[in-house]
Amino acid sequence: MGLFDAIDASGSGLSAERLRMDVTSENLANAQTTKGADGQPYRRKEVVLQEAGATATSFATVLSSLQGGRSGGAGVTHGVKVSGIVEDATALKRIYDPGHPDADKNGYVTMPNVNTVTEMTDLISSSRAYEANVTAMQTAKTMFTKTLDLLR
Amino acid sequence: MELFDTTQIGLERALSGASLRQQAIAQNIANVNTPGYRRQDVDFQSALHAAWDEGESSVERVAPSVAVDQSAVMRADGSSVDIDNEAASQAKNGLQYEAITSVMKVRTAILRTAIGGA
Repeated sequence: MGLFDAIDASGSGLSAERLRMDVTSENLANAQTTKGADGQPYRRKEVVLQEAGATATSFATVLSSLQGGRSGGAGVTHGVKVSGIVEDATALKRIYDPGHPDADKNGYVTMPNVNTVTEMTDLISSSRAYEANVTAMQTAKTMFTKTLDLLR
Repeated sequence: MELFDTTQIGLERALSGASLRQQAIAQNIANVNTPGYRRQDVDFQSALHAAWDEGESSVERVAPSVAVDQSAVMRADGSSVDIDNEAASQAKNGLQYEAITSVMKVRTAILRTAIGGA
């Protein structure tokens, strides 16, 4: 209903961007990991975002549908959701380092497909998107305060 | 003159339109990194403007709604969100909302004085 939907949408954006930052941090932390939990070199992870659909159980959605969408807003904003965290299937890097314990018989070590530059730009992108969501939330809050001001 | 005239109802409609527009902008910003997302927007001004000339009953019927922007996409990931545009629209919409509430506040104050309840 009304401005609360805007705050909810921004909130979903905040958690989505935070998750992107978390995953980017994990990628950076594991940039040199040659042995993951499954014994294989670490593979870069990526967050897949998707526009969120209506949740039929939320109070606002039920109320709005019972009122025939008259509560100021046709129930269109549901924010964003994370549809999954997928592994990047691009080829792993191979470097020559015969002294490494994980080197094969030719002296090559398979390294993760993490590119530090890509991760850093992803980090900047998600951090800026996070800020944008905060600003949107702040605007909605200011607007709502103005409405409450009418009652004074 | 009735207690709440066309202007008051129009202001109320505009307020509800601006609030819905903020929702749409928040949705766009939340989906700034969603591939293939089409941005949404609310155009309540033109409908309200058209209804104004037709009188009070038309103004009362104005219902702002969200429309998906079908204009050309310039981003490689198929999303039509331009964060600069959204930020500008948001600032504009926030000021507009503030202006409407200010006018509403003054009008209520006038009414209150007339009633003698000041």
